[in-house]
Amino acid sequence: MIRFENVTKVYDQKARPALDSINLEIDRGEFAFLVGASGSGKSTFLRLVLKEDRASSGAVYVAGQNVANISSWRVPRLRRGIGVVFQDFRLLPQKTVFANVAFAMQVIGKSRSVIRDTVPEVLKTVGLEGKENRLPHELSGGEQQRVAIARAVVNRPGILLADEPTGNLDPTTSMGIMGVLDKINQNGTTVVMATHDDDIVNEMRKRVVELRNGVIIRDEAKALYTSMIPIVGQSRRLRDASGREPEPAAVPTAVTGVDARAAGEGQL
Amino acid sequence: MRLQFVLAEIGSGLRRNLSMVVSVILVTFVSLTFVGAAGMLQLQINQMKGYWYDKVQVAIFLCSDGSTAAGCATGPATPEQQDNLAKLLESPAVAQYVNDFQFESKDDAYKHFKEQFSNSPIVDSVTPDQLPASFRINMKDPEKYQIISETFSSQAGVETVIDQRQLLERLFSVMNAASLVAVSVAGVMIVCAILLIATTIRLSAFSRRRETGIMRLVGASKIVIQLPFILEGVIAAVIGAALASATLWAVAHFFLGGYLSQQYPDTAFISAAQTLILAPALIGLGVLLAGVSSLLTLRRYLRV
Repeated sequence: MIRFENVTKVYDQKARPALDSINLEIDRGEFAFLVGASGSGKSTFLRLVLKEDRASSGAVYVAGQNVANISSWRVPRLRRGIGVVFQDFRLLPQKTVFANVAFAMQVIGKSRSVIRDTVPEVLKTVGLEGKENRLPHELSGGEQQRVAIARAVVNRPGILLADEPTGNLDPTTSMGIMGVLDKINQNGTTVVMATHDDDIVNEMRKRVVELRNGVIIRDEAKALYTSMIPIVGQSRRLRDASGREPEPAAVPTAVTGVDARAAGEGQL
Repeated sequence: MRLQFVLAEIGSGLRRNLSMVVSVILVTFVSLTFVGAAGMLQLQINQMKGYWYDKVQVAIFLCSDGSTAAGCATGPATPEQQDNLAKLLESPAVAQYVNDFQFESKDDAYKHFKEQFSNSPIVDSVTPDQLPASFRINMKDPEKYQIISETFSSQAGVETVIDQRQLLERLFSVMNAASLVAVSVAGVMIVCAILLIATTIRLSAFSRRRETGIMRLVGASKIVIQLPFILEGVIAAVIGAALASATLWAVAHFFLGGYLSQQYPDTAFISAAQTLILAPALIGLGVLLAGVSSLLTLRRYLRV
């Protein structure tokens, strides 16, 4: 679903690259955490997926399509296939919950009847039934984030990117949000979540990709926030926490898989 | 749905930015009024040309008692000289430029003079002898005056050849200068309008950056994001242009059609309806101004 091939992103020629020759593959329907300290390149990764920035070198594939080859007037189409959630919710303060979610459908020209049918359904999925007519400031932080998630998935994107969605929330509320994201993932949406929240990562036991200074230093399935296995030297060959055979972080086997699938998933 | 959405966005944008919108309306109103005034002057010039050029004549004045011109060395024009001139006017070389001509004797001239200055005491001090006889020539093409002038100035018994059109040309050149001034003022005002529209759009884009940010994220097309801003500027400019058109119409109707045509009943003024020809042009210009300046602004301040 998302594939990075040797991707380097340099913002400033004099500084070190924000991402340095990243190779990564995230499959359709997968749930992946992107962890690492601030400045490790998590946000840059998400921006490259959205084509907010272009990679300095290497190729970014989203749904089998190299984003560098998407012309600027087709970028909206790419973004319709990707939902995004932020730490600061980014709701429209003067619009109700319903209107905030409906906004995402209005601006891409969905008909009013479709909106009337879809929005309550999505609000139910994120657990906000009966709060359609509230304004954002009348809701708790967790509820606001649920509205943001509802807005991100209301157009049924294949990918959901979450940039520290629990950063402003207390642990209990955060777990609620994770439940929502997990449910969305169960419905087949690929979820990539950048986070600092070790409790959540440890609780969820999903794939963890750890970045440090723009380099992937760990890529484990069903992993914890911090690696159980100490990293030796610069080697990226890591053992799975479960004790299975070491699994290379590189892509080769997965690459063919994506290409085969790409044919079947034309629109996304 | 999308149209309704765009309209709602425009509405909220106009409300939020009301003072800026009003200033855009006023600036486009003033600038387009000047553009329109220049257009009106040109219309008026054309109108007067059409009206007067049919009537104005080339006059060949014959020598009279006091004439000092070279052709009048022999004293007042004799009847033979007068016949010669009439023959020359009928000859093919000249006749091809002439519609018709008539002879105005001293007595006729005196009669016309009395009519023209009936209110003036000067009439009492003038006698028929003081007025020269003349040939009044109606040209096929008034522009060909030079030919007549060259042919007849050197003839015996001719004092001078006068093109009445030249008197009008002087008036027209004043009007042309006035319309040039109007256009220059309009040019400055248009620059103002463009800058103001750009600033307004910028403010508007800034005050709605949350919405546009979300629109980008959920994949709204460039048109849906930018159109409300562009249309905001365009609507303001169109209102300004409409006000300018209404002002020009009012000037034509109440000032030209009312006051001036009473003062100068024998002058052909443009009618109020004629100024409405300018309205589509002004509105088009307003749309162009707003459209271009907002497109350029959005390219810089509203990334999509």
